[in-house]
Amino acid sequence: MTPTTDELSIVFAALADPTRRAMLDRLRSGEATLNELALPFEMSVQGVSQHLKVLERAGLVTRGRLAQTRPARLSSGGLQAASGWLECYREFWEESFERLDEYLEDLQAREDGS
Amino acid sequence: MTNRRLEIEVPPGEPAVVFRRFVDAPPSLVFALWTEPEHLRNWWGPRQFELVVCESDPRAGGSYRFVQRAPDGQEHTFDGVYREVDRPRRLVRTFVYAGAPEDESVETVTFQRDGGGTLITSTSVFPSFAARDFYARAGMEAGLRESHQRLDEWLKAIDNETNRRQ
Repeated sequence: MTPTTDELSIVFAALADPTRRAMLDRLRSGEATLNELALPFEMSVQGVSQHLKVLERAGLVTRGRLAQTRPARLSSGGLQAASGWLECYREFWEESFERLDEYLEDLQAREDGS
Repeated sequence: MTNRRLEIEVPPGEPAVVFRRFVDAPPSLVFALWTEPEHLRNWWGPRQFELVVCESDPRAGGSYRFVQRAPDGQEHTFDGVYREVDRPRRLVRTFVYAGAPEDESVETVTFQRDGGGTLITSTSVFPSFAARDFYARAGMEAGLRESHQRLDEWLKAIDNETNRRQ
């Protein structure tokens, strides 16, 4: 599914917060409950819950259905949208700059030769 | 310094994209590479895209126009007008992708001397978040690869930026 532009903005906004990025890092090593997520951040469970909602809306996290703990885990939807976006921009400029470096070497070699 | 890593930053809360890159040549030459057609046609854009039109008149009020032909034969046109040209330090120009003509962005490029080379910083500001995201996706549809490996790098880049500012 192609995300809409609004969804992409939601992903970037969600990723802009350092606490939420740290939560995503934590979830890379496996799913975690609210309490487990709250532990390293000296933050209330309510605070973590708010952040988790933002991540969920952005498609970066899904929550389990187990009534008591509802563990959170990473979801690929939002990440795909954001990294696909950046990937194409990066590829365009990385390749252009590689070519620019090569061209520059050619120019300088020509100058040295003349 | 000779670190040629391309740094890309998506500032939160602003419909902009910023990139930085070191090039091993003085600003006077890098400015020419960036704005003169006879140089541009040798490096602008990915290799598998043919640059079929390359025009650039780097004076205030002058225009530029690039047409790229993708491997699938489709052509993509990018054009704009130079608003400020302060050779070899800085330029400001508009940027329009013909696939989204109503979304004009404004690109500011600075060329800072860095040892024997130049640090290029480009900041593109779009009229809206939707416009920024559309432009990026147009490139994706032109056949560029999709992958998520680089997200790690990007997250690190944002963290570094955040730390630097604190």
